[in-house]
Formats: sequence, C-alpha cells, structure tokens
Amino acid sequence: MFTELNSILNATPDSITQGEFILVSDRQSDASFLIHHFLSFYLRARCKVCFLGLVQSFSHYSAISQRLGVSLTQAREKGQLIFLEGLKESLSILIPQETTTGSQAMDFLRDPTVGLQRLYEFVRSSVSSDGGGEEGLEEWGPPVLLVDDVSVLLSLGVSAGAALDFSHYCRATVCSQLQGNIVMLVRCHGEEAEDDGSDEGSEWLLKGLTHQCSLTLHVQGLPTGYCRDIHGQVEVCWRRRRGDGQHTQKKLFQYKVHDKGASFFAPGTSSAVL
Amino acid sequence: MLSELLQGADTGAVLIIQDSCSYSGQHLLKSFISAALNKEEPVHVLGFDVSEEELKDGLTASTQRLHFHSAYTDPLGWTNRSAFTVHQFCVEELTHLLKQTSHPKPVTLVIDSLSWILRHVSPPAVCKTLQQLKKGGAVRAVIGLLHADMHQRGTVGSVCHLATSVITVAPGTKGDEAVAKITKRSKSGKVTQDEEIFSIKGDFSVTVVSKTSHAGRRQTEPEEQQTDPTANLTFNIRLSDTEREAKEKLALPFVFSKEKKTALLQSGPGSGRILYEPDANDDYDQEDPDDDLDV
Repeated sequence: MFTELNSILNATPDSITQGEFILVSDRQSDASFLIHHFLSFYLRARCKVCFLGLVQSFSHYSAISQRLGVSLTQAREKGQLIFLEGLKESLSILIPQETTTGSQAMDFLRDPTVGLQRLYEFVRSSVSSDGGGEEGLEEWGPPVLLVDDVSVLLSLGVSAGAALDFSHYCRATVCSQLQGNIVMLVRCHGEEAEDDGSDEGSEWLLKGLTHQCSLTLHVQGLPTGYCRDIHGQVEVCWRRRRGDGQHTQKKLFQYKVHDKGASFFAPGTSSAVL
Repeated sequence: MLSELLQGADTGAVLIIQDSCSYSGQHLLKSFISAALNKEEPVHVLGFDVSEEELKDGLTASTQRLHFHSAYTDPLGWTNRSAFTVHQFCVEELTHLLKQTSHPKPVTLVIDSLSWILRHVSPPAVCKTLQQLKKGGAVRAVIGLLHADMHQRGTVGSVCHLATSVITVAPGTKGDEAVAKITKRSKSGKVTQDEEIFSIKGDFSVTVVSKTSHAGRRQTEPEEQQTDPTANLTFNIRLSDTEREAKEKLALPFVFSKEKKTALLQSGPGSGRILYEPDANDDYDQEDPDDDLDV
C-alpha cells in the first residue's frame, strides 16, 4: 500500500470509510499500480476481499503484493481472499473437459449476450459471510470487491450496458447492503471523444461508472509528454458527500512508481525538479 | 426562475434535470423533493440510481409523505427480490403503484433516474409513458433526472421535448456554485430561457446567487486583483512622473513622423539635388526577356 495515497484519500487500514465505490480509470496509461495498492490496503485492513482478476494470473498479483508486504497465498488459505482467476477459468469453458468443475462465473464467455448475472452471483456468494461456517474461522471486516478490469469484458463481447448492470448490482449488494467497498478499474484508449453516446464503448462505460461511483482516480500521462522522473498524473475526484460539502472536490497529483511503492506529490514538486 | 420552479408546478408539469459526469444533479433533485415535502405534498420516488438510505440522507423535511419505491436493489429481477423492476415502467403499473397509498393532495412523482430506464426500455416507450402521465391526471407533476452524457442527443432531445421545464446543470466557477440553464414552456406556448448561478446548502435549500451569467462574470472580476508586474522585484522598474513625461516625449528613431516627411520633401539649403534621366538600358523588364530586341 502507498502511504502517501492513504493520506490523500484520508484512509488508514484501521479506519476505512465504508460503502465507497472507487473507480480507477486510465487513458493511454496504466493504472494497475493502484489496484495493487488497494489490494494490499484492504488485506491489511482485515477486510474480506473478493478479487476478480480477469487480466492477469494469480502469481502476477502475488509477486507484486509480496513486494508490498502482503502474502496473497496466505490470505487465500485463511479465507480472507477469494480470487477468481479469469484466465484459468476461461480455459475450462473454452476447452471443456469432463473433470473440470469450475464455477459458472465466466459463463458469459459461452454467450456474451446473456449478461453478467452469473458473475454477479459468484460475487454475491463470495462476499456474503457464511452463516454456519467452520469453527476457527477468523472474523473479517466488511467485504471488498476488486475488479481488474471491467473494460476487458467489452473485448470479450459483453455489452457496456450489461457491464453497467453488473456494477449496479454489485454496488447494491456490496456497498449499500453489506456496507463494503468496491474498487473497479476501467481502461480507455484513445482521446476523449465527443461522441453522442451512440458508440457504447469504453468511454461510455467510463461515464456510466462515473455516475455510479463515489470516488474516482483518473490516471493519465503528463500532458507535456514523457518524463523519466514523473510517470504521470492522477486526478482524484470526490463525488458523493454526505452532509455538508455538496460540491465535488477535485485534486491533481503527479506520481512516480518505484520498485516497492509509488510516491505522489503536487504538480511541480517532484524531487527531481526541486 | 429556479425558485419559481421549486415553489411548485402547475398540473401536468414534467420537469427534467439534465446533468453530466462533471456535476451531479442528484442534490438539486433532492432540493425539489425537499421543497415538495415542505409544502406537505406527497412525493413518490422511483429510485433506480440510489438506495433509499442515500436518498433520505440529509432530508430534514418530514419523510412521512415520501414513498420510496425501491428499484435500486433489484431492477432487473436477478435476485427475485424486487419491489419495482425497470420493465414495470408503464402507465398501468405506475397508476396501480400510486393508488396503493391514497392521498388527499395530488402526487408528485420523482424518477431517479430516467437514464436507467432509457437503457432498458426503448425511448419511444418511455416518452409515451411520460406523455400519458402528463395528460393522465394520476400525478400532478413528474420530476426526472437525466444523465445527458449517457444517451444520444436525439434521445435526450425527444425526452426533453415532452418536458414543460428543463434544467441543465453544470459546475460553476467557484467551489460550491453551479450553473443552471433553465428552459420553461408555459401552457400558452411561450418559451422562456434563463441562466442562473445557484448553490445548495446542507439542508437542500437552494440559494440563487445571481440571475444571468453576465452578472456572474462581472462579480468575479473586481474580486480578482490585477497582478502588478512591477511588484516583488529585486530591481526597480517603476517610473517617476518626470521620467514618464520624458518617455512620452521621446521620438523614436525609425518612426516616419510628420516632421521627418516634410524635412525630406523640402530639400534643405546646400543639399544635393538628384536629376534622373531614364536611360534606355535601365528599362529592363524581368518578365519580358525580348524587351531589348531591336525589332
């Protein structure tokens, strides 16, 4: 977890805001370092984490989390982490064998027009606490759903509307009903087009998810071009506020990703410049 | 005009609040709900976008007359626990829903949001339902929230065409202020347009800060101090009064002023005179190479 990002978001592993829908998005950049941050952060906060890893294997996340000080294998064994390995599961659907007994979460690969109801049901069964579980199970905190990433579903044939329905249902279950948090990654390529909304691509999906979420972190490259010491900028936007402070609050930071973390600083205050 | 709309609509009014990703119209919608509740009118809310707790959060008015029909938990029937699904958005179902709770006063129906419905029900069907609600008499007024950046312009245009008033909200220049562009169609057919800057307080009451955008711009100008470029320097580039006079009197060397022109035209005493007689060889035309041929 990145300590500077924690102070920006006013969150510590001991006191997390519940019921948050955090949307991480990027445009022509790679925001997956934020997913690693949130994964290690929520595991440290002793939350029950359901991770839909649709683009990378488990060992990939495990290796990076090791560097951030969290062991995913241990968390999975203890029951704190439920990991859906999208790549492996999709193989069992595309090449069905008699011995495979995978979950039906990736069933949308058979027929993408059906929608993501099965995936939602997988999420729901993962995050809801098992009432009469085995003894010796540790009590975990509020459930957290992490999705990496939602836009790959569009490439697999799922419509953007179905992806929005899926995220709505997840929000209704995880955020509102169980007071947990959701972190979703959406990736856009290309310029921000001024399209009508007729082309239901990743831009439209990003807009739809932005309307649903309570906090967005938008990662982009620097507008001035490539820089060795500054890897890009992050725009943090708080959308829903309870009580006072009705207006949305936006803050811009620049960041640099290191081997064991990332540092965030106000624009123009990079250590390379000062 | 925003205050008039908040005060109350005539029967058969359809009010659409258009918002975008940069500014959410949810708070303005809550202000309308709060205003209606304060007038002791019953309000029915079709909640798709937000849960009941989130909608009621912060509403200080008595929520006794607020009836929330939750379409948030299960709008598509996936968990078979739905109170209201998106496919139930038609006049028959809505009238049935509204009749379940009887009121002496006419009902205001709030739809949060229309965008959710438009994603699953075809726009012509939604328009038909809205029109029937407008003419029907089951409700006195319909207030809907529409995320304009989520639909094609044609869809947004069709739905707003049905509306008697459309409020488009956008973020303002200052922190908690927003700009509202209001279009109102009266029964006589007259269309009035207005642009106001407003802010919403914690109890969801709306304060209109200024009427038009021009007034808004004039307001910000005197507040921005003109930055003085001669301040905070390590050297002095300010001019004293005598220095300023001398500067203005100075004739610049290569400026062709009137004095110089007259001096050149009238040759002074003793200056040479130039007499020019054009020579035949001088008349070389670049364009015509045969000009010097003696033909």
